[in-house]
Amino acid sequence: MAQIPNLDNAPINLISIREQSQKELINILKNEHGVELRHLSADHIQTDCTKVVYLVRSQPNLMRHICSNIHHDESKGLQREYHVYFVPRRTVVCEKVLEEEKLHNMVTIGEYPLYIVPMDEDVLSFELDLAYKECQVDGDTSSLWHIAKAIHKLEFSFGVIPNLRAKGKASVRVADILNRMQAEEPVNSSDFLNIKNGSIELDASIMGLQQEGKKTKVPLNSSDKLFKEIRDLNFEVVVQILRQKATSMKQDYTEMTTTSQSVSELKDFVKKLNSLPEITRHINLAQHLTTFTSKPSFMGQLDMEHTIVESQSYDICFDYIEELIHKQEPLTTVLRLLILFSVTNSGLPKKHFDYLRRELLHSYGFEHITTLNNLEKAGLFKKQESRSNWLTIKRALQLVVEDTDTANPNDISYVFSGYAPLSIRLIQHAIRSGWRPVEEILKLLPGPHLETKRGAFSNSPSFDSLSGVSTGIAKVPDGRRALVLVVFVGGVTFAEISALRFLCSQEGMAYDLIIATTKIVNGQTLVETFMEKLG
Amino acid sequence: MANVSVAAEWQLLYNRYYRKPELYPMRWKHVDLARHKVAAAPFGGPVAVIRDDSKIVQLHAESALRKLRLFNSAGHPLADAVWRHPGGRLIGMSWTDDLTLVCVVQDGTIYRYDLHAQLVEPNISMGKECFEQNVADCVFWGNGVVCITEQNQLFCIPDFRNPKPVPLADPMIEEPPRCIAVIEPQYTMSGNVEVLLGVADDPVVLVVEEDGVQRLGEGLLRGPLQKMVVSRDGKWLASFTHDGRLLVTTSDLTGIIIERECESSLPPEQIAWCGMDAVLLYWDDMLLMMGPDGDPVHYFYDEPIILIPECDGVRILSNTSMEFLQRVPDSTVSIFTIGSTSPAALLYDALDHFDRRSAKADENLRLIKPSLPEAVEACVDASGHEFDVSRQRTLLRAASYGQAFCSNFQRDRIQEMCKILRVLNAVRSPEIGIPLSIQQYKLLSPSVLIGRLINAHRHLLALRISEYLGMNQEVVIMHWACSKITASLSIPDATLLDILLDKLKLCKGISYAAVAAHADKNGRRKLAAMLVDHEPRSSKQVPLLLSIGEEDTALMKATESGDIDLVYLVLFHIWQKRQSLEFFGTIQARPLARDLFITYARCYKHEYLKDFFLSTGQLQDVAFLLWKESWEFVKNPMASKGSPLHGPRIKLIEKAQSLFAETKEHVFESKAAEEHAKLLRIQHELEVTTKQAIFVDSSISDTIRTCIVLGNHRAAMRVKTEFKVSEKRWYWLKVFALATIKDWVALEKFSKEKRPPIGYRPFVEACIEADEKAEAIKYIPKLADPRERAESYARIGLVKEAADAASQAKDGELLGRLKLTFAQNAAASSIFDTLRDRLSFPGAS
Repeated sequence: MAQIPNLDNAPINLISIREQSQKELINILKNEHGVELRHLSADHIQTDCTKVVYLVRSQPNLMRHICSNIHHDESKGLQREYHVYFVPRRTVVCEKVLEEEKLHNMVTIGEYPLYIVPMDEDVLSFELDLAYKECQVDGDTSSLWHIAKAIHKLEFSFGVIPNLRAKGKASVRVADILNRMQAEEPVNSSDFLNIKNGSIELDASIMGLQQEGKKTKVPLNSSDKLFKEIRDLNFEVVVQILRQKATSMKQDYTEMTTTSQSVSELKDFVKKLNSLPEITRHINLAQHLTTFTSKPSFMGQLDMEHTIVESQSYDICFDYIEELIHKQEPLTTVLRLLILFSVTNSGLPKKHFDYLRRELLHSYGFEHITTLNNLEKAGLFKKQESRSNWLTIKRALQLVVEDTDTANPNDISYVFSGYAPLSIRLIQHAIRSGWRPVEEILKLLPGPHLETKRGAFSNSPSFDSLSGVSTGIAKVPDGRRALVLVVFVGGVTFAEISALRFLCSQEGMAYDLIIATTKIVNGQTLVETFMEKLG
Repeated sequence: MANVSVAAEWQLLYNRYYRKPELYPMRWKHVDLARHKVAAAPFGGPVAVIRDDSKIVQLHAESALRKLRLFNSAGHPLADAVWRHPGGRLIGMSWTDDLTLVCVVQDGTIYRYDLHAQLVEPNISMGKECFEQNVADCVFWGNGVVCITEQNQLFCIPDFRNPKPVPLADPMIEEPPRCIAVIEPQYTMSGNVEVLLGVADDPVVLVVEEDGVQRLGEGLLRGPLQKMVVSRDGKWLASFTHDGRLLVTTSDLTGIIIERECESSLPPEQIAWCGMDAVLLYWDDMLLMMGPDGDPVHYFYDEPIILIPECDGVRILSNTSMEFLQRVPDSTVSIFTIGSTSPAALLYDALDHFDRRSAKADENLRLIKPSLPEAVEACVDASGHEFDVSRQRTLLRAASYGQAFCSNFQRDRIQEMCKILRVLNAVRSPEIGIPLSIQQYKLLSPSVLIGRLINAHRHLLALRISEYLGMNQEVVIMHWACSKITASLSIPDATLLDILLDKLKLCKGISYAAVAAHADKNGRRKLAAMLVDHEPRSSKQVPLLLSIGEEDTALMKATESGDIDLVYLVLFHIWQKRQSLEFFGTIQARPLARDLFITYARCYKHEYLKDFFLSTGQLQDVAFLLWKESWEFVKNPMASKGSPLHGPRIKLIEKAQSLFAETKEHVFESKAAEEHAKLLRIQHELEVTTKQAIFVDSSISDTIRTCIVLGNHRAAMRVKTEFKVSEKRWYWLKVFALATIKDWVALEKFSKEKRPPIGYRPFVEACIEADEKAEAIKYIPKLADPRERAESYARIGLVKEAADAASQAKDGELLGRLKLTFAQNAAASSIFDTLRDRLSFPGAS
């Protein structure tokens, strides 16, 4: 199996993006023999190398480690050559730190403009792990600029995106920055490949806190054909499919030993045998996952998530969460449910809010006050200030679907066994008919929304007549479907990706979808970005 | 025939024709080259003239002050400046590649002038040695100069763009050299300049470099050299020997290519290469052109001349005219040679007949039909080489006439040539005075030509040419805008802004910031601010706004741009410039800047951040900082352990508490801090009494558990009471603690203390998790909910009991789920199926 995803079948040429990044990295490390790789940390570097290259995200807090490394070398009288390559670009604030530490003359500064990492043939990540927290808690919107820049870079390769829809404060801001970039440094539309009708959806992950229990350590992506087949299935169904595969293989094998076969049949059989290791591995994986998904706690949690989303039995939810705290279940598990509970109720009554916070501090320690403070600032766990409109939203967008057939789904709600992720439902509407028909519902959700047409020559008056040409949903001349780039600001879960792929595979779908995200997250990892221990 | 008169003006040298058309009659007045030092730039560049102070001349009706005068190649005045520089005689002057006039004076100072006779600061010095020894002579090339001092030491500046004098090796000669030449760095092996010296009484050439001197040509030269010149490509050396011979050798002096006797043994005043095929020697009134063979050509002048070498010939400047001596191009020869019957000549002739409506035209055409394309091509090519516009036109008409009968000729060839000629004719007009030949134009490139035009402030022409050639006009407009600002001191800001914007808008993507920066440099800050407002690129706009002191606008624009880096740039700028309080006020009003400041300060300026929060009244944020600091004591063992009551740490937390208490929105935090302080005290006491350092910094719940695990129930109870721990939580904690130490007896006792407030589920769960089925069975029956009972039984594998409980619950879905749990167990499955069937038909059971 390939270690990195195969991008040959991507709807746009992602290979070039990857190759460019690779080339630039090699340039940085060129002529170096015997490169040792280390993770940046406050620990001093123990090595005989006389040249140290730091490849570091341009976050001011990371500079501290570099400074401490160099100061340590200085104190030991070690003479080394230091290079700092900022990803994706050098920034004033990071250089300021070096300057304050009087190190700016000792280091050679470079840039590694890595804005986008293709994760799969239809998934791009900006790898901004902390974007959501930084925007919501710290008010640091660097990531929004990064996202806009990354999209703008894509536009330079693939042409201007003519239609743009955004929902949420951060998304609308990204759209705004993107339009500024286009005004400052216009992409000319003349000589590009075939995105002519693409439209873009930007969506702050308002509700991206649930997901299946998938967690993997083996590289799993589209290069693995079997994985491609099963990855987007509901967890209940995966085992059945695998069982079918194994059974049919076994049957073939039996036939093979009992009856005489023609050579071509034999060949077919051997071909199938080749996929045996894959099947074995997936059966092992699935089995491993089953140990989680069949646990009462997993089922209980899933049930509880549904109960919270259905938003009919406040007390049951409250008691359940209270008990989790008392039992000192892992804090992330608790916070996940708590956030879902708070968001669907648009906060908790002050009495309950204070009570649960107190119980949390008592059970897990006072150092978690910052975490709670962060969640409050982000509006994820807060005091109730207005009536929740979740029920209206849920109903209007049909987020909870009864009788979901997880094996033969006909709606995206299959990914959560009956709950359709809000973000994907919105995208479904946006693709089908734009924002206008759902305008009233959009107003119920936090943050503004935006729908705009853009042209390559928008700021040159003489070309105005050209920009309005591409209207409506049309197929690109060569028969490929037009492209939609769906950008998630703050993160997207595998389940949401699966739901999008499901949409994409539906008959009558006019578009190919490409997903871009600040980071692929799950409930756990997203909550973790907000956790900050005082200690 | 017209052809005859053209060729009549040619001279034959060996087997090649040469011509010498007059480019311009010189428009200048009263310039006598004999009395002046002259520097003329190649590629039809300008001419600098200044009275020669090494000659004694009679002053007519002119000032005693010397004047540096600049002219274009047609003698049209460009600018002048009075020369009052100290430093002794002017030794030499020359134009660099970018048309800066460099003037070397005796003490080694180099003064530089631009095309407008403005002195370019700073002056360059050739160094201390030159200053002390005096410069005796100098030789220039493209962008460099070599000076020789009166003590025969050599110094060079390899590149005027980085004017650092470099000493060359000592040639160890007593007398000044007879002649000097240089091989440009781009043609030498070492990449450094090589200086060739011809010395008295020594039949060699000394080659001086930075790190050594070589003697070349020994045994080859038969006597010292009087005059030398290196060919344009650095490969050949033409020299004049002491006994009146012209020698052409390779430039490394390994072989003689040509050796010809001249008519005089007196060294010529000037010697120059004419292209690569001929050498020109100039004595007083005679110019001699020598080729590889055959008789030399003589030209006679009754006035002084200056030879200006070009890549394809030599321009000859005299007091009254500018001529261009060049080899006649092959295409021109083929058309105009007397008696030529080449297809091109017949085509040219055909046009003549055609114009005179003679049928001979057709006859001619038919004659050359197979070679018509070549003929057309020759006419096009020849037109390119003409300076005479009417002859260009005739040749192009001939080409176009021929093309009409010619199917396979590249159609755009004529069009392309017309384009080039229109540009050439435009710059050749006497006002512009740049007499480029087509070959020179191609070598120079259109973009350099445009650069020269804008340097000469010929913006309109430059703009039209770049538009005509489809080139980027940004360079031109930008230069125009900057020159306009410099030249418009008296125009008010608003008026000038309109004038500038009117032109700047012609060019999309032009940098308004660059123009604004120029305005600011010219002391027009207000204009700069108005201009920079039109700059769409924030990354250019913001730094400029900072440099002109518009910090608040800069902050606003940076914030709007969404580029955090720019916001930080402004932030640090203001931070450095303003008093703390003023700075705090500024950023407090701008949320993004404030948040970024906080993010940065949180990492690196902790104390300063406290000042900020205090100044803006955000006491709770100070409290959070203090609370955070209290944990720093944990990281620093010196400060924490050993100190009674963890004094300083608790004090910080209490301070945080009181700060929280200042605002009523933070009652919760205040209470939490208070409890935290209290907890630390109790934990410290516990550590003292138990002599185990395991309490500090664990949570209240953990503290209770630890106490129970240690068997210290009284302490556990105390913590419970102190912190008003609810009964619910207390039961979970105690049950799990007892299960941890497997004290099943105590657990049972606890279950019987009173009816547990949250039922028996904690007991069941604790036992199951500890894998104590026997213990679990004690509590499962006490569970109130049959569904819970069923699931608990199922978890410890008791199928029958689970099934019973489930059927009590009358829950079909539960049964299904339990069945799944026992999927491997066929017997169990059937039990559940039966039960479920019964449930589906309640009447039957």
